[in-house]
This record gives sequence, C-alpha cells and structure tokens, in this order.
Amino acid sequence: MLKFVLNRLLMALPTIVLVSVTVFALIRFIPGDPAALMLGDMAQPDQIAAMHSELGLDKSLPEQFLIWTGNVVQGDFGRSIVNDEAVLPLVVSRFLVSAEIVVVAVLLASLIAVPAGVIAAWRQNSLTDLALVGTATILLSIPTFWLGLLLLLWFGLKLSWLPVLGYVSVGSNLTGGLLYLVLPIMTLVIHEMGVLIRMARASTLEVLRLDYITHARAKGLSESAVLWRHAFKNAFGPTWTVIGLILGNLLGGIAVIETVFTIPGLGRLMVDSIFARDYPVIQGCLLFVSLSYVLVNLVVDLLYPLFDPRVVAE
Amino acid sequence: MHKLLLAGTMLMAMTGVANARDIVVAQSSDLRSNNPGVNRDGNTDGVILHIVEGLVGYANNGEVKPLLAKSFEVSADGLTYSFKLRDDVKFHNGKKMTADDVVWNWNRYLKPETKWTCLADFDGSRNVHITEVKVADASTVIITLEKPSAVFLGLMSRPECGYTGMISPESVGADGSFIKPIGTGPFKWDEWKKGEYIHLAKFDDYVSPQNDGKTDGMVGSKRPLVDGIKFMVIPDASTVKAGLQSGVLDAAEISPDLIPEFKASDTLQLIVARNNGKNLFYIQTRDPVLGKPGVRRAMAMALDLDQLVEAASNGTGTANGSMISQDSLYFDAVQKERLPYDVEAAKKELTEAGYKGEPITIIANKRSNVPSFPAAVMAQAMMQQVGLNVQIEVLDYATQVDRRRSGNYQVISQSVAPRLDPALMYGFYVGSKDKNASLMWDDPKAVELMKAAYAESDRTKRQAIFDEFHTMMLKEMPGIFLYDAVDVWGATKELKGQPVWQSNTRLWEVSLDD
Repeated sequence: MLKFVLNRLLMALPTIVLVSVTVFALIRFIPGDPAALMLGDMAQPDQIAAMHSELGLDKSLPEQFLIWTGNVVQGDFGRSIVNDEAVLPLVVSRFLVSAEIVVVAVLLASLIAVPAGVIAAWRQNSLTDLALVGTATILLSIPTFWLGLLLLLWFGLKLSWLPVLGYVSVGSNLTGGLLYLVLPIMTLVIHEMGVLIRMARASTLEVLRLDYITHARAKGLSESAVLWRHAFKNAFGPTWTVIGLILGNLLGGIAVIETVFTIPGLGRLMVDSIFARDYPVIQGCLLFVSLSYVLVNLVVDLLYPLFDPRVVAE
Repeated sequence: MHKLLLAGTMLMAMTGVANARDIVVAQSSDLRSNNPGVNRDGNTDGVILHIVEGLVGYANNGEVKPLLAKSFEVSADGLTYSFKLRDDVKFHNGKKMTADDVVWNWNRYLKPETKWTCLADFDGSRNVHITEVKVADASTVIITLEKPSAVFLGLMSRPECGYTGMISPESVGADGSFIKPIGTGPFKWDEWKKGEYIHLAKFDDYVSPQNDGKTDGMVGSKRPLVDGIKFMVIPDASTVKAGLQSGVLDAAEISPDLIPEFKASDTLQLIVARNNGKNLFYIQTRDPVLGKPGVRRAMAMALDLDQLVEAASNGTGTANGSMISQDSLYFDAVQKERLPYDVEAAKKELTEAGYKGEPITIIANKRSNVPSFPAAVMAQAMMQQVGLNVQIEVLDYATQVDRRRSGNYQVISQSVAPRLDPALMYGFYVGSKDKNASLMWDDPKAVELMKAAYAESDRTKRQAIFDEFHTMMLKEMPGIFLYDAVDVWGATKELKGQPVWQSNTRLWEVSLDD
C-alpha cells in the first residue's frame, strides 16, 4: 500500500513540474504589466522600471522561473505583488473556504444523485426513469451563475430566508456561518446532481445486464436485494471515480459561485489575481490546485477497493 | 423548514452582519493596504479618505483649502509655505496633533524606505523639490521648496498620495514597520477581514475644519453621522443590486444600465454625481494615418457629441470637449468651445488629408463602470458616416493599459481618474513620447504650456494658459474629449446625503433614517 502511495506521488511529480512550467510561461505571455497596474495611470517609466526591479521582473524568464521553483521547493511561494501577503498562507486560507463548500456540496449531491441514478436504471424506460434523466439533463444544462442568482433572488430577496451576500466563517460563528453557505452549496448540489445521476444510471445499467444479476434474480432474490446488495456495489465504482474528479475539479474552480455569493474562496482569489497580473498568487493558486487534484484522486483510488474488492491498491 | 430558516435568519441578525447604525457600502475589490499613499488603488483611496487628513484638501471646485492647517501663507518668492495648524485636532488615539507630528510625517513620507507613491513628486525627480520641513513654533510648520510651484498644494491633496495624511507616530512600530493608520479623520480604523470587508468606527472626538455647514470636497463640514462604515468587497454587479434591494447594502456604485430600474423603484434611490474624471478617445499622433491632424479633426467633427454622450452615459453625462472639467474654477467660455458636428466638413478634411480608407482601430474594454465600449460603438457608427474605416478591438483592462504604455495603439476609448487641478490632468496626456510612450501629445508648444501651468500660481495667468492650450488642442485634436466622468450609485431610500465624491466613497455627513 505504501509503495502504491509513493509510486502515485512520484508519478504526480512530472505533472506538477509540467503545470509549473506551463502556468509560469502562460501567465507571462498574457499582455499586461503588474507594475503598471499597481502604480496607476500617472506612473512614469522610471517608477515602473524601479518596480520591475523590486519585483524581480527585470530578470530573464528562465532566471525568474529558477528563483521561483527554488523558493517553492523550500516552501516559500513568494509574496503577492498586490498586497505583499505571503502566498502560501493566503492560498491555504482561501482554499479552506472553498473546500468547506465543495466537500459538503459533493457529499450531498452524491447522497441524492447516486440512489436516484440507481433507481432510474432499475426503472429503465419507465416514467420514473424519464423524469429522473430529464431532470438530470436540465440540471446539467443550467449555468451555475444563473442558478446561483436565481436562488439568491428567490431565497434571499423574495422570501428573505437566507442572507443575500456576505460571508461569516463557520469557525467564528457556526449557525451564522452555515446560513451563508446554504445558497452556494445548494447551487453546487443542484448542478452536480445532473452529472452524478447520469453516471450512476449508466454504470448501474451496465451491471444490471450482466449474467450474475440474472442469476441472482433466478435464485429468487428480491429486487431490492439484487439491486443494492449485488448491482450497486459493482456499479458504484465508476461513479466514485467521477465523484473524485468532480471534487478535484471544484476545489479549484468555483470562482463563479464565489463571485455571485461573495465568498472569499480560492477561485475568486485566482480570478482577481489574473486581472491584477499578480504572478506569484496565480502561480501559487494553480500549483496548489493541481496538487490538491492529484491528492484527491489518490485518495479516491485508495478508497476504491472498499467498493470493489477486485481492485487492489498495489 | 421555514421556521428553522427564519430562526436562523433572526440569529444571523443578532450575531450582527454589521453594527446597528453602520453604513454598509460595496466596493469591487479589496483594500490594497491601509498604509496611506503606499500601496493603493481607487478603492483603497476611498477607504483611506475617511481615516486620514492632510494639511490641505481639495474643495468641490478644485481649489485647495486648509484642512488640518488653520491657514497657510506663501512667501512672495513662492518658495516658503507656512502652515498654521489648528489647535483642535486629535489623532484617533486621543493625542493632540502637534507641529512635531507634522514634521515627523513629512520626513517619513520623504524617506525612500516608506515607499510613498508620490515621493518622486516631492523629491525633485519630477515636479516639486522640498528642501526643508521644519517647526517654526508650536503651531506652525514651514515647508521650503527649491523652485516655486503652482501645484505643490494640489499634489499634497491627491488621493494617489494618500492625501499626504497625517498619522500619529504610534501608527508605526519601533522597527519602522507600519502597524495601522491612526489618523485624524472622522472615522477610525477598526477591522479588516481580507477578501470580505473593512470596518471603520466613528471617531467621537472629530472636529470639522472651518466650514459653512455644508460638505465641500475634502474640506467643509465632515461630521461622522453613523456609528461606523462597513466596506464590503463585492465584485459582482448583480450581487450588488441584490444587496441593495434586500437592504443589506445601504449604497453602492451600480451599473449604468440599472438607471431606469432605480429611478422607478419605491425603495431605492439613484445618485448621479459628475466628477473631474474624463472619458475620451486617446489618439496615437505618431500613427501613419492618425499622424495627420486633418484625419483627427475629421474624426471629431464626425461625432454628434451630444447624442453620443447621451447614449454612452445613459443620459447622465453632458458633452465636454475640454481637458478641464465643467466643475473646475477654470472652466470658462473658451473651454466650452469644441469642433462642430459637421459631416460635410469632416469629409472635406479627410479628402484634404489624403485619407484613402485605411483601417482605424479603436481599443475598448467592457468594464461595467466606464463607457469605453458603448462610446466606441457609437463613434464607430458616426465615423463610418463620413467614410472613416473604423474597427473596434475589445481587450481586458490590463492589456489595454499595456498597449497604451507601449504606444502600440491607434485610438483607445479611455477613462481617466479625476484630477482636480487642470495641470495635473494635462500631465496624463502631454509630454515627450520618446521618454514616455504612454503620453498622447508631444507637441513642443503644448509641453511648454503645461510646464507653465505647473509653475504659474496666479489664477488669471493660469486661466490664460489653459485657454491657449484648449484653442491649440482644437486645432491639433490629439485626442477627442467626450464628457466628464459620472459616478452612478444606488442607495436605499433611508440613506440621506451624498455618498460619493470624485469617484471615491465619501460617507461623512451621510446618515440613515431609522
């Protein structure tokens, strides 16, 4: 098991290196000068040159890259160009905000969508199946920003049940904090349910066609025993992989939801940093996101044998 | 479920999103730093405005008036400024502001280690060279300049310089590191939740500078009428609108396309305030096509400016072809002159200039708070009427800035932040393109006039300089000025007072009805 984990982590290294090089290069190819943006429209060329020198932007790109990677290896992700904050603590604090929303949302979406997908497969071609597949397709097609605004208008403005904007950390105020999370979580749950229902349905359908299911039915087992004891375990594997991918994807990519609901998460930090050409923060965010993606998928793979004993982590 | 949520909402209200009588406003981005004039942008200036004050400040008409100073005198040679300090000024830590504090502040600003954005404006690198700042007596500070300058006081009052705000020496640690701004303004620093909000608390001991009971720019009556201010960081315009509609926000800048909705609302009010900022077409005079004044004049004459402004500003702006704002004390009859809307004359100019339909690209951005894109679209349609082959290229703002700075553009649909002294506004456009590629007009005569405006203090003589400059600009048309920028804000009906001035949030003398 340990060997498997180490192997996987080693295999992730080239990915991380590739991501670092690509991110570093791409962000610098985008036109826009952080020093000019920082100093404002009255800045003189000499001031901008001085700022370049202070930020190390006057060095060649390979030199800048080597300095940055050398520091990252030592755990120093640099400081924000915009507000001089240390990048790593900033990224971690924002990541935790995003993570509390994403983890809860994916968990809830899975709890609702997976059984729904299994039921749709079980009742294939029935009205229930049609309704569930139709709903999943609609949910999948709704853009999250629109859904978020719609929920905000309905639950925040019309009904006044939930706060319209702002954020309170759950750590500082549990009840207040939870209320601020309801709408962003609800938006994500609704959206992600679409993918998961379809995935769970498809993988269950495949399993239901196999001989051992026919055999189980022939033995006289009840439909629920066939479905949950025999079919579900095997059908859940592919869905579990998709859950892992969704989780990894969302952990770095809910900028739209964070913007609509004024959540100070990682996605918003990343978007703000791109507009400000805050190179160290953009690089830090993307490196952290790729790392978390790798780790989430590693955890998913390690847990896979729990659902499918045929798979061994080695 | 409903009961549970209601209970939660009540609990949330009890836990306090904001204190009972705080004004809650939105701003599109977080504070850069709370160190005045060091690391800043427009939103940062708006927060700092409430915390610190300088010796002088701008009035509505662009005049510089005493603020922390009771009065000031300039010697006959224009080199010595004596600031008599008010005796009723306290810092937020309760300590009285002294002449020594003022000298300490100036020395701190002039040290390169402070990284003051405006250092180059005062250390002789650019405009002004301060040779000495000293205490004359317990209530008088003397600042000596190397050469006379008409803009010394104006530069001191600029938002970009953190208003050259006086802070208590206790704002800085023993090792010189900045702790927090302990200023003299009507509100004091309280809390900063990064990425979420900034909270300022009312300064109970605040005393306004001498005034006639009315607000007047950075001077005038400045009473804090609420317990505090909460600046919430909300980048999304739709969320801002929902915040105002729900009453969570008291005031915020809104997208101009919401004007009709806010005008018709029973619970919300629309606040429109003109400022000294500019919306213009910034022209590259070294471009092979646009290097000909005839083509530039034709572009200007092709524009039905009143119609363009009406459409681009959603009816909030008034056409102004001058670099000087309509609210400036220097905006006279000469400044009102502009090239006529004349399609035939424009066509004639193009023929004479030998224009053969070469493409002209206007760079625009789609930021919601500036008319860059709509103005470009209107202009494109109007210019095509006279035979100009105009295209639009939409870029993000950072890229647009990059293109302007490198000189790699033909026309940019640009907005420029307010500068209350016309000479400082000229500084954005005029100067040698060889030294600074971002500048628009490098005609030697124009540069000479700008330098004269920086040096001349006499108001009548300055007016003559500005008028000559404007007349020359109409002939050369190095850029097409459209209209003075407009702040479009929305607020709840409970809000009383004017919450915005010169694009900055300004919440003194603003209150909320119970």
